[in-house]
Amino acid sequence: MVVVYVLDVAEFSEIVESARRKPDCRITKSDKGYYRIESDGDIVFNRKELKMKPAVWYGLFTGGLNGEIAEFGREQVRVIGTNRPL
Amino acid sequence: MERDTLHAKAATTSAYSSNRAYRTEEVEVANLKPAKLDGVELKLHGVDHTARPTWKLRETVEFYRDILGLPLVHTISARGWGQEGHPDFLHFFFDAGKGATIAFFYYLGTDRPDKFIPEDHYFYSATHTAWSVETPEELQRWKETLEKRGITVSPYTRHEILESIYFRDPNGYPIEVTLRLRDVHLLDAKDAELTLAAAIELEDELAAKGTRVMDIDTVWRRKAKLVEEFIKAA
Repeated sequence: MVVVYVLDVAEFSEIVESARRKPDCRITKSDKGYYRIESDGDIVFNRKELKMKPAVWYGLFTGGLNGEIAEFGREQVRVIGTNRPL
Repeated sequence: MERDTLHAKAATTSAYSSNRAYRTEEVEVANLKPAKLDGVELKLHGVDHTARPTWKLRETVEFYRDILGLPLVHTISARGWGQEGHPDFLHFFFDAGKGATIAFFYYLGTDRPDKFIPEDHYFYSATHTAWSVETPEELQRWKETLEKRGITVSPYTRHEILESIYFRDPNGYPIEVTLRLRDVHLLDAKDAELTLAAAIELEDELAAKGTRVMDIDTVWRRKAKLVEEFIKAA
């Protein structure tokens, strides 16, 4: 399982919008300002789809990430489940 | 309060002025008293001035006053005083808006020590000041005008809540001009607290094992734990 936490602010909102288009992602919104995106499989994000400049892209998971980054390129990131401790 | 009252009530010396060694000792935060214990809320109200040393008097004045066009608004010229061997000096200030100034010290008869030679390194350019503009049009005007005046300016760089450009002055000092893209809210502050709590916890845990945090992914995983606890808490 992978969980991505996204703060409810404009510069990260496209992460949530992208997740809404992914059938595997379940999204809940906390009343404390975080979206919680959960998936049983990998999650892949594309920078252009998220309309992000590099300085924001490379801080994509600043809201918190339960998972492991298998690949983090300039255009695409892939997150997989992990047993590593949080 | 009358301004001179500040001096009348205060001791004329303290370790800060009498004990030179104090200036290079590490501040032991663990021995200090937290703000919440005395209930006094100290506040700041923006920038008065930033200050850096320069060994290029003419170039610095011409760059800030004539090329950037920031008015020279104040100059102090004085004998060296205080510390033994302090050279005579000039201390001059350029207007940076809203009462703030960009200031320089020029120490007469001194040579620039090697450690003040500019470096192309992020450790070096981490020490900088970002001066604000209020609209995207103004940021664009800065970039395009400086380029037309011959200055090399970075591309626009967006950092979450800021959009910035960077350039260097004749001393090699990095200058940032930035546009705030949005206000910060309480949730930004909570998020900031959780990110740093994650990093501090991990650094403490790993220091006990003789190691340290080597990647941000580790911080993001710990933050996931803290955010999960935060959003599940009643």
